[in-house]
Amino acid sequence: MSTEWKLFADLAEHAGDRHVTVEASAGDTVGDALEQLLDGRPELAERVLEDGELRSQVNVLRNGTNVLVEEDGLETELGDGDELALFPPVSGG
Amino acid sequence: MHVLGIRNRGGDGTVDQVVDRVVDQLAQRGRVGVVRYDATIADGTHVHESATVGGDVTYDLGADGDWTATGTGMSVEDALDRLVPECRYAVVVGVENLQYPTLVVDAESSPDATAGEEAADDTLLATVSSPHDIDDDVVDAIEEAEPYETLESLVARVKQSPSADLAGAIATFTGRVRAKDDEDDAPTQYLEFEKYEGVADERMASLEAELEERDGVLAVELFHRTGVVEDGEDIVFVVVLAGHRTEAFRTVEDGINRLKDEVPLFKKEVTVEDEFWVHER
Repeated sequence: MSTEWKLFADLAEHAGDRHVTVEASAGDTVGDALEQLLDGRPELAERVLEDGELRSQVNVLRNGTNVLVEEDGLETELGDGDELALFPPVSGG
Repeated sequence: MHVLGIRNRGGDGTVDQVVDRVVDQLAQRGRVGVVRYDATIADGTHVHESATVGGDVTYDLGADGDWTATGTGMSVEDALDRLVPECRYAVVVGVENLQYPTLVVDAESSPDATAGEEAADDTLLATVSSPHDIDDDVVDAIEEAEPYETLESLVARVKQSPSADLAGAIATFTGRVRAKDDEDDAPTQYLEFEKYEGVADERMASLEAELEERDGVLAVELFHRTGVVEDGEDIVFVVVLAGHRTEAFRTVEDGINRLKDEVPLFKKEVTVEDEFWVHER
């Protein structure tokens, strides 16, 4: 099994793609999946990381739930077929 | 209201049959409006049986509320705006570049010939050569696309609420594209909204449900457009049906504030000089 990232707004532009599949799977962590996403994408890494930590304005969702607020952050364990999302502050309206 | 376009490309004679078939299928599920664009309709050249000449808009009314109308100064969008409070579907015939799922009627078509075109035009639903090509998939596809909504259609919907008897107030908020924040600003041409499909809709639905749980709040409708929204057009609506004005006003304000804070939508602004994601400013 693999895990799919969905990227939005300028983060998709920095990554060069809206959808990226990584190898991390059930039992690995969201942090593992993030590391694989950023590996080989230095522009995206610079956009979302600051001193190796995720910038405070960047959101990470797992199956629609914010892992930084409602789960164990980047330590959150992945389940089978999870959908991850990475996006900047929302700006609807 | 769900909108379906139908365009003719070498399907003369077949188009009307396709429109009839589509309307017939949709009418089994709800009220259907049809908008036909015909460039030969122009002042003085379109033959109409009305006895009245000279009025800018004429309604001819008959028994049981049947009617026909003629008039001047109506765009396709104006026509959709009039249909949306009371129709579940609209079929728009003969309009190029409609931003809704569209069927192309081509008597000579083969699936292979149009595969490339379908990839290039994301509004193209299918190319059909006969009315027999219309099936439930077409109806399902137009129901999945973003609906056409206006402030009036959402107000009409909350008035249909089973609790409308208890309602003495409707409060609404409309967000629209602002050309300038200041007189000296470069004018905004359009905004483009990207949505996290699925998650954004879930958040909007749960926000509606939470607001509806408040005392005195009877129904809440939230709607946000996606894609390109031009200068001056409406972007987002919040409509609240409530017992009294105080909870209606409060809920409208909280509704738009929470929508802006919580729903994964992303706004790119394009001005005459520049293009940028709004969260970066």
